[in-house]
Amino acid sequence: MEEKNGLKKEVKKEVIKVENLVKKYKEHLAVDDISFVVNEGELFAFLGENGAGKTTTINILCTILKKTDGSVFVCGKELGKEDDEIRKNIGIVFQNSVLDKKLTVKENLITRGYYYGLTKKEIEKRLEKIGKNLEIEKIWNMKYEKLSGGQRRRVDIIRALLHNPKILFLDEPTTGLDPKSRKLVWDYIEYLRKEKNMTIFLTTHYMEETKDADQVVILDKGKIICKGTPSALKSRYTSKRLVWYVKESTDAKNLIETITDNYVYDADHYNIFIKREDKKETDNNNNDNDMITEFVYKYRDLIKDYEVIKGSMDDVFLNLTGKELRS
Amino acid sequence: MRGFIGFTKRNLLIYFKDFGAVVFSMLTSIIVFVLYMLFIKDSYIDAINETLKGLEKIVNTKDIDMFVNLLLLVGVLGSALITVPFNSLSTIVRDKEEKIDYDICATPLKRWQIVLSYFTASALSAFIVTSIILTVALLILSSKGNTYIATKNIFSAYGLLGIGSLSSTAFFMIVVLFFKSTSSSGSFFGILSAASGFIIGAYMPVSQFSEGIRTLCNIFPATHITMLFRNILLSGVLNHINKDIDGLDKGEFVKSMKGFLSFKASMFGEVISHSTTIIYIMSFSVVSIIVMIVMYSKTYKRS
Repeated sequence: MEEKNGLKKEVKKEVIKVENLVKKYKEHLAVDDISFVVNEGELFAFLGENGAGKTTTINILCTILKKTDGSVFVCGKELGKEDDEIRKNIGIVFQNSVLDKKLTVKENLITRGYYYGLTKKEIEKRLEKIGKNLEIEKIWNMKYEKLSGGQRRRVDIIRALLHNPKILFLDEPTTGLDPKSRKLVWDYIEYLRKEKNMTIFLTTHYMEETKDADQVVILDKGKIICKGTPSALKSRYTSKRLVWYVKESTDAKNLIETITDNYVYDADHYNIFIKREDKKETDNNNNDNDMITEFVYKYRDLIKDYEVIKGSMDDVFLNLTGKELRS
Repeated sequence: MRGFIGFTKRNLLIYFKDFGAVVFSMLTSIIVFVLYMLFIKDSYIDAINETLKGLEKIVNTKDIDMFVNLLLLVGVLGSALITVPFNSLSTIVRDKEEKIDYDICATPLKRWQIVLSYFTASALSAFIVTSIILTVALLILSSKGNTYIATKNIFSAYGLLGIGSLSSTAFFMIVVLFFKSTSSSGSFFGILSAASGFIIGAYMPVSQFSEGIRTLCNIFPATHITMLFRNILLSGVLNHINKDIDGLDKGEFVKSMKGFLSFKASMFGEVISHSTTIIYIMSFSVVSIIVMIVMYSKTYKRS
C-alpha cells in the first residue's frame, strides 16, 4: 500500500512487462513493437483476429518462441536469460490439446507433473484439489481420446495448473465448448483470480468473456491498436443506444430526426443510435449521455418508456478493426 | 532427474499403450514368422537335407528342426531391432506435428533431457520387446528339445539386444528428424519394413545376393548384429550336428552352412572378422550419436 495525499492506494505488482516487443519471420512482421504491463491477479484480455499475433506473443512470453527485439520480464525474470525460472511460474492452456490421446487422464497428468520435478504424492495431492472443482473424478481413468470437448478442456486446464503457476495463459480456452462446459471453465477461472490471486492472460474470440477483464488489449496486424478497461474502451469507441418503446408513428419519427437520422424501428421500439460526430478519442460516454438526457428530458411528456443501452465489446472491436471477431 | 524420468515414462507409455502400434512395429517380424511357417522353413530343411546327403541317418531330424527354428528366431529378432525403435521414435514426429513439443518446451525440462529421454525410451522399448521375444522363443524351443545354447551365449544374446537397440535408436534418431508429418514417416516405415527383412537376411541368406548388394546390406549395423546372433544362437546346435557327423564329411557341412547363412559379414569382397564387426557396430553407433547430438542441438532451440 502506498500513501498519497492521505489516501491509501494499492500498489499492484507487475508480473508481465513487455517493452517494444518485435517478432519477425523473415520478411513477415508478426508482432510489431508492442508494449504492455500485466499486474498480479489481473485478468488480461488479448484480442485480435486470427493471425493478428496473439498466439505468437503468448508463445514468446512462454519461452517457446524467440523474440526478434524488445524486452520481456515475466515474474521479474528476464526472457532469454532466466527462461527456466519463467517456466516454473507459468501454466499454459494451448489452443489445441497437447495431451496424449492414447493415455488416460491420470497417466497424462501424472507424467506432466514429473516435468516440474513434483513427486507422485505431490501431484496426486494437487490433482485431488483441482480435480474436484473441475469435476474430473469420473473421467480419471478414461483415455484422453475418448473425452468430450468440454472434458478435454477441463483436463487441459488442470494440466496447466499442476505446478501451481503464478500466471495462467489461456489461448482461446472456450472455443468450441458447450455452454455448460464454458460456464464451468469460467467459474473456475474466476475462482483462481479471486481466491488464489492468479494472473490470467487470456486470448478469446468471445467478447462477452472480456467483460470482467481488468485490461483489454486489441491487436491488429501485430500492432496494439487500443488498450484499457472494458468500460473505458466501450466509452471511447462505441456509442450508447436509446431504446424508446412506442408505437411506430410519423410524429415519433419527426421527433427522433431532430437529433439523428440513425434509427430503426424493431417490433415494438425504436433503436436510436446517438453519436456525436465530433467525438474525440479522449472523450468519454458522458457526451452521449448528455445528448440522451437532454433529448429525453426535453420530450419527457412523450418519451415515457425507454432504456439506454451501452455499446458492447463486440462494437469496440468492430469499430476499431472494421471486422467482427468470430472464429 | 524426476523430469527426465517422467518424460521417459510418458514416451514408453505412448508406445506400449497403443497395442495396435506395438503389433504394427513388429510387422516385419510377424511376416518373417508367417513366411517361415508357410514355406521358408521347409525350403531350408530341404536345402540342409540336400547338403547332408548320405548322412541323414546320422543327424537327428529334431536337431535340424531346432536349427531352422533358431534361424527363424534370429530373423525375427534382427527385424524387430530395426522396426521397433523406428516406430517408437515416431513419437518425435507426432509431437512436432501436433505441437505437443510446445508444451514440453514450456516446462523446466532441459533440452538435452528431452532428446535423451526420446532416445532412452526408444532404446528401452526395442530392448524390452526383443527381450520378450527372445525369452518366450527360448522357453518354447526348450520345451521342444535341446537348443544347445550355452548359458554364456544366452547372456551374450541379451547383451547383443542391448547393443542392437542402442545402435538402431541412434541411427533412427537422425532419420526421424527429416519427417515433418506422421503420414510421411508412416510411408517410410512401410518401405523400411519391407526392406529390413532382406537387409538382415531374414527372407533369404545375404550370401545369395551379388557382392554389391551384400556390401550394401552390410553397411547397416543391424545386418552385423543379426549375423552375430546367428553365431551366438546357432553355433551350439551346429556344433552338435557336427559332432554327430563325427568328421565323416571333414567338417564340410558346418563350413557350407556358415558360408550359406553368412556367419561372417563381407564388404567389398573381403570377409570381416567378428572383432572387426564389433568395432564396426560400435563405431557406427558412436558416429550416429555424435551426428544426433549435433542435429538435435538445433532442433529444440527456440526459433
